[in-house]
Formats: sequence, structure tokens, C-alpha cells
Amino acid sequence: MSLEPYNSTVREYFAQPDHAGIVENGAIGYFEDQGMRIRLSVEVAHDRLLRLRFQTWGCPHVIAACEAFCRQFEGRPVADLKQFKSAPIMRDLAVPVEKTGRILVLEDTVRSLGQAIQDQTFQN
Amino acid sequence: MSADKQLIYLDYAATTPLDARVAERMREVQDTAYFNPSSNHLAGRLSAQIVAHAATQLAALIKADAASILWTSGATESNNLAILGAAGQRQHRGKHLLTMRTEHKAVVDVFRTLEKRGFEVTWLDPDADGRLPPERLQAAIRDDTQLVSIMHINNETGVVQDIAGIGAICREHKVLFHVDGAQSVGKVSVDLSTLPVDLMSITAHKFYGPKGIGALYVANGVALEAQMFGGGQQRRLRPGTLPVDLIAGLGEAATIAAARYAGDLRHLSQLRQRLWDGIAEVAGIKLNGQEQGGYPGILNVSVDDIEGESLLLALEPLCVATGSACNSQSKEPSYVLRALGRSDKDAQSAIRFSMGRATSNDEIDVAIESYITAVAALRELAPGITA
Repeated sequence: MSLEPYNSTVREYFAQPDHAGIVENGAIGYFEDQGMRIRLSVEVAHDRLLRLRFQTWGCPHVIAACEAFCRQFEGRPVADLKQFKSAPIMRDLAVPVEKTGRILVLEDTVRSLGQAIQDQTFQN
Repeated sequence: MSADKQLIYLDYAATTPLDARVAERMREVQDTAYFNPSSNHLAGRLSAQIVAHAATQLAALIKADAASILWTSGATESNNLAILGAAGQRQHRGKHLLTMRTEHKAVVDVFRTLEKRGFEVTWLDPDADGRLPPERLQAAIRDDTQLVSIMHINNETGVVQDIAGIGAICREHKVLFHVDGAQSVGKVSVDLSTLPVDLMSITAHKFYGPKGIGALYVANGVALEAQMFGGGQQRRLRPGTLPVDLIAGLGEAATIAAARYAGDLRHLSQLRQRLWDGIAEVAGIKLNGQEQGGYPGILNVSVDDIEGESLLLALEPLCVATGSACNSQSKEPSYVLRALGRSDKDAQSAIRFSMGRATSNDEIDVAIESYITAVAALRELAPGITA
């Protein structure tokens, strides 16, 4: 059993959250639960997630999970959002099982983001 | 953590480094007096003399009779023996016990065990500063109260209780008074020739002695029910072969502490003031504990809108303690800070800085800069986040 609470990926993403911030006038997904708050924002062009940003009040695993999501999905088709599952990210970041609920907040935020993109599309 | 980062240790309330003179004394005893002090031969008597000398050293530190010292493995065992032993010994007189909500787990969990065994425990609340108002204790004592247990210095906040005042009330009502002195003995003046204390828990590793050794002061005439069995050592109250080297180390640490605690306190007071002056302007910062009069080796602060576990990681390579403990065994916000009226979020963002003899101004300056930078960075990550 490792005594190190964070693997190297968590440490890297925590130290350099390149996707931290907000996309002005972008679609916004938001969810809070388990004491965690996550906001995702995105600029969409040609049905693609052109620029993804996150903000969060959360523990290092949540911050790293948000950064991992943004890195994985930036540039991909909007439709791919429906495929998002937190399990692979939890595995990559070695998230302790007792923090599962926190990472599921990210899943809910991604769903909220997908809905916001859809709403924005209809408005336009 | 990367190996190239230089640790800055600000967790002296958790443990202190071994003083070089203590290590030297222990090594000497390990080499020359490793014998069983209970053995009746010449070698055994040599070790027994070393144990007896260590008892006089510790007794000199706390101004007590060496015969009142009972060796244990540390404060946790001392607390167990004192509380379980006193409650068991006096239960025919009554089963009501008193303690505070802000005690260390090593006391809280013992009282929880006694509750399961049919004792009634009154959990006293502190005031907003963490102190126990004497009138609150006075009002809680009943005819069937047998024991009061209050810690001297709180391990999380550095709050110092009025041991003389509390002890006087206990004496007045003929109630036994146990003090968890884990954070006070060797660090501040403890004069048991004048303090009305019946039992006091002591541990060596909090004052530059070795881990795994402590003591229980048992005032003359106080009877305890044994909690361990298996030999006649130490008045049958704490059987087992005595670790002569550790005891010698504790004795040496006590002698060193007696000579220098006053100077240590001046050093710590200056460091604490420097640290507080450096971070007091951070928006939303709150001091947990006493503004004045607390133990100067500890500074505990909370800050608005910051997640404690992330703050702790962002502060690396500072080694400090957190109130959230997500990286320790507990997932709950500090119950001590909650008892002081702090919200879950405030308790969760709490950081305890604890300084020691080797802490320098330069380290405090790094701590100030790290704290300010970390709080700013985490706030940047979640600026006023709302839907």
C-alpha cells in the first residue's frame, strides 16, 4: 500500500492546471454536491469543444480530474460528451474509493455542460 | 513528493526531533546498561539505578516526588491508565465523569469506552477561545462525580487551560483531577508541588525525547485499578520490562527542558508573532484559539473559501497539520474547531503551524510566502464560483 496520497499525474495536474479558468460567453455546466463545486465552460465551434476551462472548489483529486477531463475532451466533437465516464479518470488518477462521490460530481457537471450546449444551440 | 524539495518542518506539536544529547545518552545506555532492571543481580541493579535517576530528572522538571512517576509507552497509554484506572477504582462511589469536547482522541475515546461500560460522561463545551469557564465546571459537578479530565495545552489550537483554577474546584468537591500534559510538560512551567493535580499524562517525544516512552504522574494516595496484567513491576499498575534506554532518554530530555524551556518560550513567541503578522492580512483569515495567553508554539488559522486538502498540498514542502485530515485517518473536519464554534468549512480549511527549537525566522518567512501564494492560487482556481 502506498503512503503517498497522490500519484504523479495528480501532482502534475494540481501544480499546472492549464485549463483552469473560464471561457467568457461560453456554455456553462455547473454542479455541486459532496461539498465540491465544479464549473465547466466551453467555446463550441463546428460542433466541436474548441476551448474547455474549469473552476472548482475541491480537493487535489477533483482539481486533477477536472484538468484531465479538459485535456481529454478539448477538440473533440460535442457528441463525445455523452460518452464521458469518470471511471477511467479515477483509475488514471488513482482516486481513493472513498472519494468516488466527489468525482461523480464531475460526471454530473459534464452532463450539465452537455445540456447547456444544447440549450445554447437552440437559442442560436 | 520530489526529493529536491527542502522540507520545512512546522509540525512540532505532532512530534519533535531527538535532541543530540538525548540520543547520545540512549546510545550509552544501550551499550552499557541494557539489562533488565527487575533482575536482582549486579547488572540489573545498574539498570534500575538508571531508571531511578531518570525518575528524579523527570520529577525535577515537574516538581514532584520521583516515587509518583509511573513509566508508560506514552501519553495515550497514560491517559488510558489514568482515566480507566481512576473510574474503575472509584465506581462504587459514583459513575459520573467530566471532560471537555476539545480533548485529544486519546482521552475522548477512553471516555466513550466508559460510556459503553455504564458510566455517565458530561462533555463540557469551551468558550469561543477554547477555554473552560470555571463556573461551567462548577455547575456540572455532582455528588456522584468521580473524575475530571482536562488537557493542559490543546494540541490543535495551543489553548492553555487554567489548571490551577480547575484543580481547585476539583479539590473543593473531592473529585480526582487528571490532566493530559502531553503538550505542556517540557514546554511550559509545570509545578506539581503547587498545582492541585492528581494524575498527569506525559510523553517524551513532544519535548525532544524518544518516541515510545512516557509517564503517568500519580499523586501520593491516589489509587488506580490496573489495566494491564502480567508481572509485578511498577506497583503492579503497569507490568512489563522497562525500556531502560528510552527511560534514560526521557530523563535526559527532561533535564534539558528544565534548563531551557523559558528561553524556548521566548523564541517561540517571537516566531508566532512573526508568522501571524505575516499572514494576518490575508482576506478571510481567522485565528483559531486564544488571541493572547495561548501556547506560543502553535498557530492555528482558518481561511474563507479554501479547500483544506488542496491547501495542504499547495503548501508543500511545508510540513504542517490540517484541520480536515483528508490525508490522515479521519475524514471529518476537526471536532476541536467545531467545538469552538467554527463551521465545517472553516474547520476544514484550518492549518496548524507548530514551531520548535530549531525553527528559524527564515523558515517562518518561507511559510508566510507559501501560505499567501497558496491561498491566492486556490482562490484563482475557484473565484466566487456560483451557478
